[in-house]
Amino acid sequence: MDEDSALDDPIANVPVSTLHVQYFDDPIANVSVSISGTDCQCQGDYESSQCSGPSYLSSLSQPEKDVGKDLDLSFLPEETSGNDASNANVTQDSGVFDACRQEESAETDPKKVAMPGASTFCPMTPVIPVAESSGIIPMLQNIVSTVNLACPLDLKSIALQARNAEYNPKRFDAVIMRILEPRTTALIFSSGKMVCTGAKSEELCHLATRKFARVVQKLGFPAKFLDFKIHNMVASCDVCFPIRLEGLLLDHQQFSSYVPELFPGLIYRMVKPRIVLMIFVSGKVVLTGAKERREIYDAFENIYPILKGFRKQ
Amino acid sequence: MVGTAPFPCRTTDYLFLTQCEGWISQNAVYFNHVWLAIMYHFLQTGIHRVRALCRILRLTFLMEETAETHFKQAYEHPNFIRVSLQKKEVLAGCCVLATCRQHSWPIAMGTICCLLEANPRLIGVVYQEMVKTLKIEAPPTSIINLLETHCQAYKLSPQHVHEELSESSKDLTKRAAVLLELAADAWLVTGRQPIPILTASIFLAWQSLKPTQTRLKYTLARFCQMAKVTKSSIAPKRVTELKEVLCKLGQELPWLRGDEVTPQTVIQMVDDILNHRLTLLRRALSSHEEALASESVLPPSLEDSIPGSHTNTTCLEGAVSSQTPGQTPKDPFVGEPDTVSVQQQGDVDLTCTVVMEGLPHTGPGTDSQHSQPSVPNSGKRSLFEPPSVRYAKIRRVLVPVVEVTGDEEISDSEIDSYIRTPQEIRDYVEAKEALASSDDEF
Repeated sequence: MDEDSALDDPIANVPVSTLHVQYFDDPIANVSVSISGTDCQCQGDYESSQCSGPSYLSSLSQPEKDVGKDLDLSFLPEETSGNDASNANVTQDSGVFDACRQEESAETDPKKVAMPGASTFCPMTPVIPVAESSGIIPMLQNIVSTVNLACPLDLKSIALQARNAEYNPKRFDAVIMRILEPRTTALIFSSGKMVCTGAKSEELCHLATRKFARVVQKLGFPAKFLDFKIHNMVASCDVCFPIRLEGLLLDHQQFSSYVPELFPGLIYRMVKPRIVLMIFVSGKVVLTGAKERREIYDAFENIYPILKGFRKQ
Repeated sequence: MVGTAPFPCRTTDYLFLTQCEGWISQNAVYFNHVWLAIMYHFLQTGIHRVRALCRILRLTFLMEETAETHFKQAYEHPNFIRVSLQKKEVLAGCCVLATCRQHSWPIAMGTICCLLEANPRLIGVVYQEMVKTLKIEAPPTSIINLLETHCQAYKLSPQHVHEELSESSKDLTKRAAVLLELAADAWLVTGRQPIPILTASIFLAWQSLKPTQTRLKYTLARFCQMAKVTKSSIAPKRVTELKEVLCKLGQELPWLRGDEVTPQTVIQMVDDILNHRLTLLRRALSSHEEALASESVLPPSLEDSIPGSHTNTTCLEGAVSSQTPGQTPKDPFVGEPDTVSVQQQGDVDLTCTVVMEGLPHTGPGTDSQHSQPSVPNSGKRSLFEPPSVRYAKIRRVLVPVVEVTGDEEISDSEIDSYIRTPQEIRDYVEAKEALASSDDEF
């Protein structure tokens, strides 16, 4: 699944527990609600809950169907349908580490969530839209990808013919090649496999990998471009307030590791999405371990309310 | 031969074994015995080391037993059986550390580092691996608990030093604990190594308990030498930071009548400051707020008021205004109410923010005084903030990201620019040969 299809229908393949409104669209106007019913336990919960109108269940059974722009509110309880100005404060329910709460919080009416601060209605499954979110978007800093050039390579010849290559077999058995635009580095192995690092977006990473492959091609090897895959994405952002790491450690012991003797930041291993966050006292957060951009955004939206809780202590 | 295999140098057991592979395959059973004997030998050495550490630290018998059990389990685990001897030595210390933490016996990793004379990073790596392997829960000790143990290491009793310089461990601990609490509130402790801040608190406590000229003339290095404690390169910085905090509070003492409080003169006032620190904190925060309020009247020429914020983040007003202005005096003041108005003003000026972020803070008094409008960050800073926020690193100017699809055409000329011309290749080969031949001459 590449970036284009993701932008068209980003929610179709998202598991129930991490359902989110499209980040780049107006949450009120353009809402598509579809769930992939992979988690049976989730479905069980939904069925036993109040929110079990026929259209909701049908949307559960058709995970790939794009419900379209129309908002289907029939699954919501009577007293709350049509109440635009109400919604639960999503930030209170964003604890995705709590398994049972997670199932509850995975699905709701996005339209209702758009109003910040007004919370007379608490839907079963709040969604975190852009408007009520932190407003901070983590910036991607590094992307690591691999590709298979599918032909054996003579590293000595590459090092000889290419200007931007270094090869020191005693230290490391691969050619280290760099290009200027986008500013990236590639490790090229004799088996034909290549690792590309340093790009700041998925598209730039793809472009850079193609450029490296072209260089190898021009050097006389029948290089192909197979199995391009992004393995890791690193992003960083700033919540703009200092954080009491000791307090965060006490409250989230099972996910956190804070050893100031070894490292000044707290290492938070989020379960869903499976991202590792490094949280520093200055409020800067580094997120890593993502295979997709969405995971980074989800992880940050999950951690932001928690961090806010440790702001004033 | 069994149990007496020579190990003349520090080598990994695994290396030794691979070298012997040829022989082992011929006499498998015999060499298996030899290998087991070698492992047993090192296990015993390790256990002795664990016991020795426990005796030095005067741990209870139960703790000694626990540490030994941990060591045996870890040593025999596949993760550790093949590590280097150095790591096995460190493993002994890590087992003792884990045991201490499990029994809430306050001990710092730095202490184990000193005892083993090992690299702190290596200790960290081995410790974390050991905890993960053995699946034990070893909650880290809080810094206040560490203080008492750390204090006892300082030889300041009348037997060791001159009467004028001596101080009882109890008084020292008490005073240092208050200073440490103050440091923690002022964001000097979070994210930092504990031992330097402990040293700094104890030093300032010692100076302030009897602020005679003799004591005030002592530098931290001399103090550590006298107390027979290892010197730290970071502790002097902590002393400076702690003095800054004390100055900020000392400034609010009413009987000073506006006199300047410098790091040199503040030690004499520490007694008063600590006794009335809650009141002083409240006063300092309110005078800081007043100073900011008067500043916000001036048109901010350059925005981005949030300390340490990036150019790429925009904090919604919801994020800041959700914070209430009324706070308990004990809590450090974070953010200001009037930053909301600034944020509403519009986009952040990228280059200015990047340049300004790197400027160091001009001094302890500046916060509560009127700041120049040309330095945007200091004007909107809170009274106490983590030093990493105040002295933020200069960040690289962000290049605006160009819209890219990833499937663009790649120009031939660009690719050719990365490939050497035939002449260049010839030159390179000649140069290499010339270098190789000149090396041969030597």
